[in-house]
Amino acid sequence: MSFRSSITIVASPRPRVGKTLLARLLADFHQQQGRIVATFDLNAGDKTLEHFLPEQTTTASIRDIGGQIALFDRLVADEDTTKIIDLGHESFESFFAVTHQIGFIEEARSRSIGVAILFTMTPDKTSVDAYRNLRTRFSHATLAPVHNEMLGPAQHRDKYPLASGSPVVRIPVLAPGLRRYIETPPFSFANSQLADAVDVPVSAHAEIQRWLRRIYLEFRELDLRILLADLTSSIRFGY
Amino acid sequence: MAKPAVILVGADKGGVGKTTVARTLIDYFGAHQTPTRAFDTESPRGTLKRFHPELTEVVDVTSVSDQMKIFDTLGSADAKVTVIDVRAGLLSSTLQALTDIGFLESAKKGQITFAVFHILGPSIASLEEIAETARVMGDANYFLVKNFINNTTFFDWDPATYNAYFKRIKGAEEISIPKLNEMAYEQVEVASVPFVSFVGNKGAKNEAANYSFVLRGYVRHWLGNVWGEYDRVKLVDLVAPKMESNVRQAAG
Repeated sequence: MSFRSSITIVASPRPRVGKTLLARLLADFHQQQGRIVATFDLNAGDKTLEHFLPEQTTTASIRDIGGQIALFDRLVADEDTTKIIDLGHESFESFFAVTHQIGFIEEARSRSIGVAILFTMTPDKTSVDAYRNLRTRFSHATLAPVHNEMLGPAQHRDKYPLASGSPVVRIPVLAPGLRRYIETPPFSFANSQLADAVDVPVSAHAEIQRWLRRIYLEFRELDLRILLADLTSSIRFGY
Repeated sequence: MAKPAVILVGADKGGVGKTTVARTLIDYFGAHQTPTRAFDTESPRGTLKRFHPELTEVVDVTSVSDQMKIFDTLGSADAKVTVIDVRAGLLSSTLQALTDIGFLESAKKGQITFAVFHILGPSIASLEEIAETARVMGDANYFLVKNFINNTTFFDWDPATYNAYFKRIKGAEEISIPKLNEMAYEQVEVASVPFVSFVGNKGAKNEAANYSFVLRGYVRHWLGNVWGEYDRVKLVDLVAPKMESNVRQAAG
């Protein structure tokens, strides 16, 4: 078995830790790799993701069963699309409760779809407990802690146990002066569009590119890890 | 030769989900490779037959000819387990009929394994029936099933009253059927297939179907919990004891 496509869940039980930015970066990364991307916004309210990725984004809600069907049935649908979920902190608990109950990860696997959970590390107990909980509940998913260096240099490595051989996904710091460019829609990290963005000065453009290359490198490694998780479990479970 | 087992699923009130419980039982024995047949006493409609047409026959349990059809074939039928879905209001009279034909006697002698699943409604009124049936039942395997499948509210029974009835039947065990999401339940109804087929995304003729994955997930989770209850009361051991346990019994 080999994964045809992947679903990446960007998650944290905390607000304002850079989930939507991470989801945008992932979406643009996969598009640059020539993949068809669909993003799902599970945040209450501001529709930030949709402002940046209007064509790819579906606003989702799992509060009622109708919304759950609309989201999860689409996620496991038979299509060659890379899917990214921007999971708002207020939906964190309920999303993973439903995921667990309906056996979503297992269903995705059986349809050759790899699932990865990107979890932004913060030092608070809620996050640490939530991370450990995910680790025990979803052994079939690739769980990758994310160190967003914009939140501070501390890595909290002692609090977030890693699966052997899997490093942390690092999001390096972007100079504060440059953040306003990437945080004002419309803005895309996709190469061509970034080059065309006239209101970004050349120096800033080069700096953002450098930053982006480092992040894409991390994502490429993550891709390999999802693939590797597939291979190791193939060996382990004899698929 | 293993002895035949008869499971009576009944209640004295309608609409408490007997047929749902009967369906989970048929699925459960199917999953344990225990050949099963079923009788549906809701003639002429036959809800159970709609879900399990190949295993189910619609009968009138009060008629002698149909009683013969069920009980005289116990030893000869291929099926090891016979599940009888007793129509609302007929549990007490069915048990009385079983006494009259000497069926309960053979169950007592251990020639037949006999179990009753008494489905309880959410109101206290149905508890009166336990007292009634307890009189007839003696030592049979008696399961009191609290069916929460369609209920959002918890059973509002006074525990003292409940326990008073509960204790009348020696060795009665309690089983809880958890709630299933309404839409998931409804879709299985619409599909008219066994729960396991729904979970496996299969139609009535084993053809590929296209049910919602979310709903299938909920049904799988729920069915797992129901079967967990049956595992807990060791239902398979009851109807199909392993050879080892026979040996142990003989040795003991």
